[in-house]
Amino acid sequence: MSEATAVPTTAPSREPSTGRARSVLQSFELDTRLLGMIVALAIIWLGFNIISGGLFLTPRNLWNLSVQSATVAIMATGMVLIIVSRNIDLSIGSVLGLTGMFMAMIQAEWIPKTFGLGFDQPWTWIVTIAAGVALGALIGGFQGFVIAYVGVPSFIVTLGGLLVWRGLSFQLAQGQTIAPLDTTFQLLGGGPKGSLGANLSWLVGGIACLGIGYSLIAGRRRRRKYGFPTRPLGIDIVIGVVGVAIALGAVAVANAYPWPPQLASQYAAENGITEPAGGLIIPTGIANPVLIALAVTAVMTLVATRRRFGRYVFAIGGNPDAANLAGINTKRTILMTFVIMGVLSAIGGVVLSARLNAATVSLGTQSELYVIAAAVIGGTSFAGGIGTIPGAVLGAVVTQSLQSGMVLLRVDSPIQDIVVGIVLVAAVGFDTVIRRRST
Amino acid sequence: MRIRRLAAILGTAAIVFAGCSATPGASGGGGSQAAGGGCTVGMSWNNYQEERWAKWDEPAIKKAIEDGGGTYIANDAKSSAETQATNVENLINQGAKVVIILAEDDVAIKPSVAKAIGEGIPVIAYDRLIEDPGVLYITFDNIEVGRMQAREIFKLVPKGNYAIIKGNEADANARFLRDGYEEIIGDAVKSGDIVIKGETFTDGWKPENAQTNMEQILTSSNNEIDAVLSENDGMAGGVVQALDAQGMAGIPVSGQDGDQAALNRVALGTQTVSVWKDARELGKAAGDAAIALCSNKDVKAVKDTAEFTTPGGNKVSSILLAPLPILQNNLNEVVDAGWITKDALCQGVTDTSKVPACQ
Repeated sequence: MSEATAVPTTAPSREPSTGRARSVLQSFELDTRLLGMIVALAIIWLGFNIISGGLFLTPRNLWNLSVQSATVAIMATGMVLIIVSRNIDLSIGSVLGLTGMFMAMIQAEWIPKTFGLGFDQPWTWIVTIAAGVALGALIGGFQGFVIAYVGVPSFIVTLGGLLVWRGLSFQLAQGQTIAPLDTTFQLLGGGPKGSLGANLSWLVGGIACLGIGYSLIAGRRRRRKYGFPTRPLGIDIVIGVVGVAIALGAVAVANAYPWPPQLASQYAAENGITEPAGGLIIPTGIANPVLIALAVTAVMTLVATRRRFGRYVFAIGGNPDAANLAGINTKRTILMTFVIMGVLSAIGGVVLSARLNAATVSLGTQSELYVIAAAVIGGTSFAGGIGTIPGAVLGAVVTQSLQSGMVLLRVDSPIQDIVVGIVLVAAVGFDTVIRRRST
Repeated sequence: MRIRRLAAILGTAAIVFAGCSATPGASGGGGSQAAGGGCTVGMSWNNYQEERWAKWDEPAIKKAIEDGGGTYIANDAKSSAETQATNVENLINQGAKVVIILAEDDVAIKPSVAKAIGEGIPVIAYDRLIEDPGVLYITFDNIEVGRMQAREIFKLVPKGNYAIIKGNEADANARFLRDGYEEIIGDAVKSGDIVIKGETFTDGWKPENAQTNMEQILTSSNNEIDAVLSENDGMAGGVVQALDAQGMAGIPVSGQDGDQAALNRVALGTQTVSVWKDARELGKAAGDAAIALCSNKDVKAVKDTAEFTTPGGNKVSSILLAPLPILQNNLNEVVDAGWITKDALCQGVTDTSKVPACQ
């Protein structure tokens, strides 16, 4: 995540250079919008923590929050590319539902019953996910083709998709809830058993630290190579230290949440471990859905900022005609953004159905709204050309924080919707005003 | 240009959609006018995309009507109250003499209902209440469903901490069920024997929302929950997942609908009760009543009706059927009825000593 604090994808040169303080700040090249979001998130968290009497900032609640945000975060990374290139995808909730239902049928009906191979084969989950992701890519590719090559507006195509894929999902299982799912597959949905545990979590933290260090050093080297001014060394060091602290702090929090006592006792009994006096303490660590979300974020950030494809997407969003005249294959690029979105929706389907241990007809309904909200709160502009992947992930965490926090405070669902809706409009309104003032 | 393009796409989408989904009764187009003689009964579904309607309710309604010499026509409002208003008029235009409505919104449908009744067309409110004194309300007794759920849970946990997971706030059934709970556990709550640690509505009755809500209730109560009253099976699925993640699966949890996954959970012992409303009985009752209304339009003259006072203060004529609580020891009822296969019911059940139906 902190990788992109170092490498903003929005062009910082848009901001004017009036005043000394601003130009100094500018030479730091910090993504002020991302910083603003982090501050907003901190305020939300502290606020909930105070109102809930210290319940919000507990390892357990933060761990819950991370898992609850994962699905929307995964899909929001793809939505950034879609919106940046001036399109929209309204079908993702239905694609999630259809791929989720398809995968549930494979693992709970077709493999065990139709082919008579039985439940819980060791390879079931891999086959299932491969097929589900392929279906997601196929759906995305089909929609992308109609949008890019036939020229139908994405709003219309994906609005149709929203109806079609949900309808097919119903047809697939005749409206039934498909459960239970494969036991290995279930682990991808999180829960204490579907988490990394202490050691692997530290390993992930370590890899994140190396990534932060590498991106900072490589960034400086690249700039020097092309003769660009580098950021003051001190700033890079501060960014690096803060990034490492956040990464390791997050791991420490995840590890500070022990397995629930009941589950730990069951585990002890099953494995013949005698429980110590205070009960067996097993650190939970990073949950699998969160690991998936982190990996998706890292890959998507790399694709958006370090690959030609990502550059093309932003170029098309900035000015489609110019991009076309510059020789970019805009149609193919747009098609690819929808393929990626389809794949990410399928991954969202994996996480959500695994977490629920069931696929229902309503799986993922309205998630398109939360995903678009996350991307927009995270600074993606509908005018095209502007948006960051880490911003969208933070946006997902912000919306989920509001919702989970309100449940903790026993605020009922209609009020939750009102608050999230207001925050969405307020965040974008605030941003627009600031932008207008600074130009 | 753009508009034409839009129309073309929407048209295509509509064709694809219609082609792929078996539209209720396959008669949405109006091609199947009454073959003459018999009485045409129109059925307006609010949302055909739910497990039970296509599979159980519709065949029973259709059969009862056809056995009575009538013709069945239907359409689907796809969860839109506005579409449903149009649909009801369409049914009447197609020649329906009696209309059965499964209402998307119990208030928004009122003008359409009043209009139909004004034209001398009797209206049956199917499974969901419509606040109009002129309708015939046919349903399972939802307050009784709530009582049954609470009764089974209360038997097991007369003292302790409860969590209550309610359905969609806009659905009258969510309130009826809660009223049923109150009748059973109300006194114990007042005396302090039962403490409600968390109570929440669930947007759209969605299992994943119920799961998240349950996780937050467990977090805020530090897992000190002894029983969960969940208003339906789908949400109970989310609740059990949240409990399972804390190693707490097995504490009493309620539900209703007799979903296959839920019945499997009852067999496994992770859900206590699923109150089963045999949709075929409901469908048959509605079909029979519709046929009776073809010849006599007085909704009070239909047999087995009683007066029911609605939350809105209306007195409507109603047929209330009694549901059946399904527990571990009477699971054979659903197997015998052909509602679920023994394989599906008993999947993963290793200890069959407590589950006679799996032996």
